[in-house]
Amino acid sequence: MGGKGRGWTLRLVGLLTPITVWLGLFFLVPLLLILAYSFGKSGVYGGITLGFNPGNYLKVFDPLYLEIIIRTFVIAALTTLICFALGYPLAYFITFKGRRWRNALILLVMVPFWTSLLIRAYSWVVILSGNGIANKTLQFLGITDAPVTLIFTSQAVLMGMVYSYLPFMILPLYASLEKFDTRLKEAAKDLGASRWETFWRVTFPLSMPGVIAGSILVFIPSAGEFVIPQLLGGSRTVMTGSLIQSQFGSARDWAFGSALSIMLAALLLAAILFYVRRVGADKLEGV
Amino acid sequence: MQERKTTEHSPTASGAGPDTGREVAVELTGVTKRFGEFVAVEDLSLDIYEGEFFSLLGPSGCGKTTTLRMIAGFDEPTEGNISVAGEQVRGVPPYRRPVNTVFQSYAIFPHLNVFDNVAFGLRRAGVQKDEIRQRVTDACEMVQLAGFEKRRPNMLSGGQQQRVALARALVNRPKVLLLDEPLGALDLKLRKELQLELRTLQHEVGITFVYVTHDQEEALTMSDRIAVMDSGVVRQVADPATLYEFPHDRFVAGFIGQTNMFSGRVEAVEGDRVTLRTSDGEKIEAKGQEAIEANSEAHVAVRPEKIRFGGDGDNVLSVTIEQVVYLGVSTQYIAVRPDGEKIVLYQQNSHDTAGPAEGERVSVAWDAANCLVLGG
Repeated sequence: MGGKGRGWTLRLVGLLTPITVWLGLFFLVPLLLILAYSFGKSGVYGGITLGFNPGNYLKVFDPLYLEIIIRTFVIAALTTLICFALGYPLAYFITFKGRRWRNALILLVMVPFWTSLLIRAYSWVVILSGNGIANKTLQFLGITDAPVTLIFTSQAVLMGMVYSYLPFMILPLYASLEKFDTRLKEAAKDLGASRWETFWRVTFPLSMPGVIAGSILVFIPSAGEFVIPQLLGGSRTVMTGSLIQSQFGSARDWAFGSALSIMLAALLLAAILFYVRRVGADKLEGV
Repeated sequence: MQERKTTEHSPTASGAGPDTGREVAVELTGVTKRFGEFVAVEDLSLDIYEGEFFSLLGPSGCGKTTTLRMIAGFDEPTEGNISVAGEQVRGVPPYRRPVNTVFQSYAIFPHLNVFDNVAFGLRRAGVQKDEIRQRVTDACEMVQLAGFEKRRPNMLSGGQQQRVALARALVNRPKVLLLDEPLGALDLKLRKELQLELRTLQHEVGITFVYVTHDQEEALTMSDRIAVMDSGVVRQVADPATLYEFPHDRFVAGFIGQTNMFSGRVEAVEGDRVTLRTSDGEKIEAKGQEAIEANSEAHVAVRPEKIRFGGDGDNVLSVTIEQVVYLGVSTQYIAVRPDGEKIVLYQQNSHDTAGPAEGERVSVAWDAANCLVLGG
């Protein structure tokens, strides 16, 4: 390699070293720690003895915990689906009908981020609790006589999650729709496609990168969420995230908590790979 | 299809062509298109015959693309009517009109391969699978894309994408094919090739082509008839030869080919012979196209190749050769009149005798029959 090549290599090393060190220290090392802990043995009063105990993983398959993991994936999948159903029309509207309001509307989508997630989750508690705003309104309007159970249900968790993660769906959808060449719509119409066919055959397939990115951005944090299920789901709608948190906290079973973390990560990875393969392949097949 | 003959446009004819008996494929009657205050097309009336290669020619912003979009159905006229194949199309959406468009940007669907792009229209029309396969294969063959069916658009060159766009439109066998500067993005050599190819293709399929271009040479090469447009108005509709030999007005004369223009006051009118006196006292004999009054201001034009060296002709001017440009087939001379006005003339290089050199004083001459009085 000539001098130019070496200069380029040096520059590359210079640019990539900081992020490599950062990720190594704060991502890879903790991940390896968790992996090591997941095979360890927890002491009675906390602490951990390293070793090889696959038992932590077997415990994950206990029906009690399995139910929580399945519920986690169902709620995360539903959150993603609802976010998509709500977010796609909005992203479509902003992109194609927003005109000069486009940037302002996208900014509005991001407004919830200006407040901490914790505060926003608590405000849902205020709204949904037994004598909260929702129940007071229902009673005032004479729809119900007594308070209805709104909080501490899986519906409440779902509502909170959709609310929190909707922007993560809308933004990538908008980014991919915004790049769409509207002349393709004219071409489709010219070739005999109605509005509906134009959407399904041209616009939607071409927005698939945004759909995939948005789904992943919503699904992953939903599956790992622990604040919202704890505040809005209570003890009846426990999700994996809160289970893991309690293992590292009150239950003091770091080994099991680690095993749960690794399992959750592995399942998420498998789900994402499956999804991208499925949807990606569909997209390539054409009509 | 029918015998291909260039038809003189008669602005009053609204039905079939008077002497050829040809059907009208597209009829525009008093079409005006306004975008807010801006008038893109003004009171446009036009008959385009079946099987004709018709061009809309004009500089950018002249309304030619807007006219095409109104025929396709992407824009509706503010006033006036459009008929395609005898049917009024006001309010008919683009996907129900018997026309297809080849877009300037090609607008190939990037997520579909060549086959699926070409099959798009047939699938929307619910054509049987076997027939789709056959027709798409034929269409690809017709535009020399056989064997490219499985390719993705991003693996095709500009010329190939253009062919896909053409096949995708033609495969539907539209009554009228609309082409919006389809060769604009290609390099000169490929453009020349495709011009001839398109012409041949149009002869083969016999479909009416409405072709939008700003390139006068392209329009002359390909068209049966051309409508020259400027500022939303049609200036002249004629076949290429008529357009070149008998331009109606100054805009058409200047836009199509090169021309020498003179202006002056009309001294005498005798039949179609008009005598003009230029401001520097030169007398010019010209041929009138329309009635003109004596003593009015008039403009005349003569094509560079109609001017010859020597003192024999209806009009003779004494000039100094300023520049000699050898062009192979011909030589271009730029000559200066005593008042500083320039004249361009071409001489075929078919003889061995050399023409005048730069700086030489010579006489140039041309006949009144080749010197037209222009309107506008």
